[in-house]
Amino acid sequence: MNDVVIRTQGLVKDYGTVRALAGLDLEVDRGEIFGFLGPNGAGKSTTIRVLLDLLRPTAGRAEVLGAVPAAGGPALRARIGYLPGELAMYGHRTAGQLLRYLTRLRGGAGSDGIRPLAERFGLDLDRPIRGLSKGNKQKVGVVQAFMHRPELLILDEPTSGLDPLLQREFLDLVTEARDAGATVFMSSHVLSEIEDVAGRVAIIRDGVVVDTDDVRTLRHRAGQLIELRFADQVDAGTFAQLPGVEDVAVDGSTLRCLLRGEPDALLKAAAAHHIVAWSAQDRELEDLFLDFYRAPADDRRAREVTY
Amino acid sequence: MTADTAARGAVLNGVMTDQRRSLVLWSIALAAIATLYIGIYPVMGVEDMSAMVDDLPEAMVNAFGYDEIATPAGYITSTVYGLLGPILLSVFAIGTGTRLIAGQEEDGTLELELTAPVGRARVLLERLGALWLNITLLVGVVTAVTVALVILLDLDVAIGNVIAGSTGLLLLVAGFGTVGLAVGAITGRRTIGLGLAAGLAVLAFVLDAIGPTVEAGWMTAISPISWYLEGRPLFTGADWSGLALLAAVPLVATVAGIAGFTRRDLMT
Repeated sequence: MNDVVIRTQGLVKDYGTVRALAGLDLEVDRGEIFGFLGPNGAGKSTTIRVLLDLLRPTAGRAEVLGAVPAAGGPALRARIGYLPGELAMYGHRTAGQLLRYLTRLRGGAGSDGIRPLAERFGLDLDRPIRGLSKGNKQKVGVVQAFMHRPELLILDEPTSGLDPLLQREFLDLVTEARDAGATVFMSSHVLSEIEDVAGRVAIIRDGVVVDTDDVRTLRHRAGQLIELRFADQVDAGTFAQLPGVEDVAVDGSTLRCLLRGEPDALLKAAAAHHIVAWSAQDRELEDLFLDFYRAPADDRRAREVTY
Repeated sequence: MTADTAARGAVLNGVMTDQRRSLVLWSIALAAIATLYIGIYPVMGVEDMSAMVDDLPEAMVNAFGYDEIATPAGYITSTVYGLLGPILLSVFAIGTGTRLIAGQEEDGTLELELTAPVGRARVLLERLGALWLNITLLVGVVTAVTVALVILLDLDVAIGNVIAGSTGLLLLVAGFGTVGLAVGAITGRRTIGLGLAAGLAVLAFVLDAIGPTVEAGWMTAISPISWYLEGRPLFTGADWSGLALLAAVPLVATVAGIAGFTRRDLMT
């Protein structure tokens, strides 16, 4: 039981007549970096707000570190570090004043973590928040989420607003936290931002998790784009029937298709012809991600069976 | 709430830090206004004012409480304690009260506090405490200026009566502020808090003003302004039943506010 840090079962959240979460199931294990992916409006932030007890579920159940968020209350939140998706902060205080205030709310926990993190990210603690750029504000958010070395980090679109160099630094920080035993749950609408660090990924669409998998499996599932150039014209029909082969397009003597799984059947069929040139390119995970967005629910289910 | 890790008063202290600037400006403004109004009393001359009041229609005299304006206690009541004090302090109390929960929830600045290890009831109570502390300080400024001028100008008003008036003033405006904060906390909408609290304040003034004129006793019976001034605190000192009624308003609002705030979705 202790191995699951976040568990939701059939989580439903309605805002008036709008259903934001429609039976969301999620399991995040202790010590993993878990990516929570979906387009804006899919329900990522709503899920996170339920985990932090800002929102109360309409139906279903959520458990964080073994407790229902509302029952866990402040004691539960003391074990969590949270980076909001849209960070709003007081204007008159300096970054240092705000961070020290937040450590006081944690009974002093994290006060020794402010300076090293600020130095690491090049955050000037003496400047008023009001004058900070979006990127610098995001640094304040990162520092306050990590400063008390929480067992669970819940990060909503953490890399937004950070420049690429700092994104790298941030992902290193996430990996270090994981290595130190923390569990990290981070959302994003861009897979490439988290695919390097995340072990498992859940894809959310219209308030439901449509897929949960290892990043490696997802990458495999994303398939390869194959291009074969033949000496003669070929017939698309003979290739379209092959297992694992999709989206066959023939342009004269050039064949392009999407390959998922083993290339064996495709290569054997191709070997019947004279092959002039060939290439196989890994598809970006982004493309797979887009498949999930584009596919209507029924079509998607049909395709999952064929995997 | 017992599991909160935050030091007692951490939230309250944070709010006070944020409020410092506004508190200083309001203190200066209130001190200046109180000094100006009470300071000119000796210059105006009792006969002049009595003559002026005699010329006014009786209904208007009653409505503005000018019937006793010629006495120092009546003059201070009609100007600082019965008119400008309650109006200006209500503006501050309602404006600040509705901002401290609903306003900051709407602009998102409350999010990091609500996701910190602090219970919602505690957040509300400490923010409410900060509101009361702010208002107490401002009423303290008005009281200090009044007492100083009463002594300096040798006016015939007992210091104890000024304190009694200030206590009523504090309970009145902090009550309006608490209603604003609580309604904002229940609904999450600052404009609803503003509308209801300001509406309550205006209604209280109107009922108190026209009640005696139209001889409708129920109007003054339900008006917080009447609870505050009907006992004529600057003449006779504390009116305990009036103060008790005034104290009931923020108490009820606080209980309702906590009940609503701890149950609903927070849309920071």
